[in-house]
Amino acid sequence: MGLPLTISELVVPGGKGRVLLSLPKLELPAGALVGVRGPSGAGKSTLLYALAGLLEAEGSIRWGETELLRLGAERRTRFRADNIGMIFQDFLLFEELDAGANAALTALFRPRRERAAMRLRASKRLSALGLGDHAGRHVSSFSGGERQRVAIARAMAAEAPVLLADEPTASLDRASADRLIDDLVHLARDSGTTLIAVSHDRHLTDRMDRVLTITDGALLGDEATAA
Amino acid sequence: MSDLWYSLPALAQDIALTFALLLPALLVGALVLRGFAPWPLTRAILWRFRGASVMFVLLIAISVGMGIGLLAQERGLRRGTAQAADKFDLVVSAPGSELSVMLAAVFLQPTDMPLLDGATYDEIASHENVSVAAPLAFGDSYGDAPVIGTTAEFARDLADDRIEGRMWQASDEALAGALVPLGVGESFTPAHGHGDAAEGDAHGDAHLQIVGRMAPTGTPWDRAILLPVEAVWEVHGLANGHAPERAGQIGPPFDPDYFPGTPAVVVRAEALWANYALRSEFTRDRETMAFFPGAVLAGLYAVLGDIRQVMSLMALVTQGLVAASVLLGLFILSRLFRRQIALLRALGAPARFVFAVVWSFGAALLVAGAGLGLLTGVAAASVLSRVVTARTDILVTAPIGWSEIHFLAGFVSLTLLLSLLPAAVVLRQQVVDGLRA
Repeated sequence: MGLPLTISELVVPGGKGRVLLSLPKLELPAGALVGVRGPSGAGKSTLLYALAGLLEAEGSIRWGETELLRLGAERRTRFRADNIGMIFQDFLLFEELDAGANAALTALFRPRRERAAMRLRASKRLSALGLGDHAGRHVSSFSGGERQRVAIARAMAAEAPVLLADEPTASLDRASADRLIDDLVHLARDSGTTLIAVSHDRHLTDRMDRVLTITDGALLGDEATAA
Repeated sequence: MSDLWYSLPALAQDIALTFALLLPALLVGALVLRGFAPWPLTRAILWRFRGASVMFVLLIAISVGMGIGLLAQERGLRRGTAQAADKFDLVVSAPGSELSVMLAAVFLQPTDMPLLDGATYDEIASHENVSVAAPLAFGDSYGDAPVIGTTAEFARDLADDRIEGRMWQASDEALAGALVPLGVGESFTPAHGHGDAAEGDAHGDAHLQIVGRMAPTGTPWDRAILLPVEAVWEVHGLANGHAPERAGQIGPPFDPDYFPGTPAVVVRAEALWANYALRSEFTRDRETMAFFPGAVLAGLYAVLGDIRQVMSLMALVTQGLVAASVLLGLFILSRLFRRQIALLRALGAPARFVFAVVWSFGAALLVAGAGLGLLTGVAAASVLSRVVTARTDILVTAPIGWSEIHFLAGFVSLTLLLSLLPAAVVLRQQVVDGLRA
C-alpha cells in the first residue's frame, strides 16, 4: 500500500539567495498517480529529488507519519531504501551486470536474511514486465524499453510504497514508451503504490489521476485528469 | 611478554609478525565489508575500467617486485660471498690490507702481494695447533682462468673430495675447476700475469696436463686451475720447496731453505678456539698479518648494512609513491563512476556500502598488484642471481625470505588503510549533482 504525502511551506534553496522551488501546500492521498509537468528548468526534478530526501530544504515533507526533512542523512537514506523506488530518464543500470542482478541491486546492501526474498521479488517483477526469460542477459544488449523495465523492476523490488520517476519515457521511441506507460500504471495501481512521475510526455501524464504544473519553481496548476 | 616472544621459534615469530602487519588491513576490511556483499559491483566496476585497472595492477606489481627482488638479491649476495669464504678459516699473509688479501685469496682478484718467506711458513706449518697450512701461489693464468699453486690437501678440501679423474701426482699435472674449459687429458701452458698484461710465452717450455676436474663449489675457484705449488715455483725458475735430494716430492713438508715464498697461507686449526690463538699469534707488526676472511666480510656487510637500509628505504619510498599515484588514480576513477555512486545513494545504499564498494575496488587492485609483485620479485631475484653468478662466479641464490614477506605485508596494510581516503572523498560528493552529471 502506498504512502500519503503532505507538503507544507516547502522551500528548496539554490544558493546565493535563489529559490529553486517553493511549494506552500500539497496533499496527495496514498496510492495516487501524479504527473508533474512544466518547462525545462522549472523545478520539476528538484521537486522529485526533494521528495526523495536528496536535497536540503526548509518546511515540511511528510510521507505518511515520517517527517523527511527532520531525518539525518543516513536515516533519510534508510527511509529511501525502505519506502522509495526511483526511475531515471537514462535508466542508470550497471551495464556489466545481467538484468536479474540489476533488478536485485538493492539486495546487495540489505541484511543477509532479506537478500533471497528481495532477489525473488526482483525476479517476479522482471517476469511481470515480460523479461522473465532474459534475467541472465547482460543489460548492455537490451533495447531502451527493456532497460527501463529492468529499472522499474529494480525500483519495485523492495515493494516500496512510493515510486518516483524522472522522465521515464524520454529516452524511448513512441511504441516502447506506450508499452512502458501501460506496465508502469498497471503495476502501480495493482500494488497501490503512490507514483509521482515528472514527464513532458502527455501519453504518460494523461494516465495519471492528477497533473501538477510547475513553472519557475512554483506550482501553477493542479488538475485532475479524466483517467 | 618479550620473554614469550623470544621463546617462540623463528618461524612462529615470522608468521606472527606477518599477521600483525596485515592485521590493520584485515580489521579495516572486516569493518568496512561487514554485512554487505559489494563484490558484484566491485567486479562490475573493475570490468568497466579494466584497462586502467590492469595498468594500476602492473604498476604496483613492478614496483613491489623490484623492491622485493633487490632486497632478496642483496641477502643472496651476502650469503653467496660468505659461503665462498667458508673454506678459508684463517689466512696469514704479509701485513697490508686484509680486504685486498681476502679478495685475492678467496675471490681470486689479482693483486700484487709481498711474499712470506720459508721460515715464516715453516713456523706456521709446524705450529702445534695447525692441522692444515696451505700456501697459495697466485700470479699466473691460462685464458680467463687464474692458475693457483697450492697443496693437494687444500684442493681436495676445496672440492669436498669430489674430483673427477684423479689428484695430481707430479709437478706437471693440474686440476681444473668446474667451469674451466679444459678437459681431463688436455695440456696447457700458463701465462705470467693476468688478462691483457699476461705474458703468454714467459713459461713457454712448461706444459701441464689436466688430470682431474673438481666438482662445482659455487665460488670463483670454479674458474681456476689448481696445480702443485711446486709447479708454480718451477715454471718461474725458482727452487721447488724441497731440498735437491727430495726434488721429486710433491706437497708438504717444505724445506724452509728451499722455499721461495708464498703470498698467503690458508690455515686450519685443530680446534675452533685455536683459530683465535693463531690469529693473535701471527698478527705481528711488519712480519705477518692473520685474519678471518669471514670477519672481514662481516665488517664489509656492516658497512653495506647502511646501504641496505638506504635501499630498503628507497624501495619503501618508491612503493609509497606508487601507492600515492594509485590513490590519485582512484580519486580520478571515482569521478568517473560518480553517477553509479550517486545512483546507489539514491536507491538507498548506506554510506558504508558505497564506501565498501569504492574501498574494495582499490583493495582488489592493491592486493592483485602485491600478489603479482611477489611473483615479479621472485622472477627478478632469480634473473639477477643468474647475472651476478655469471659475472662473479659466486653462486648467488636469492629465494624470497621472510623480510620480503614482511615488507609486502606492511605495504599491503598501509595502502589498504590509505585507500580509505578516496572512498571517504567519494561519499562527500553531492548525490543530485552525481545523478545529473
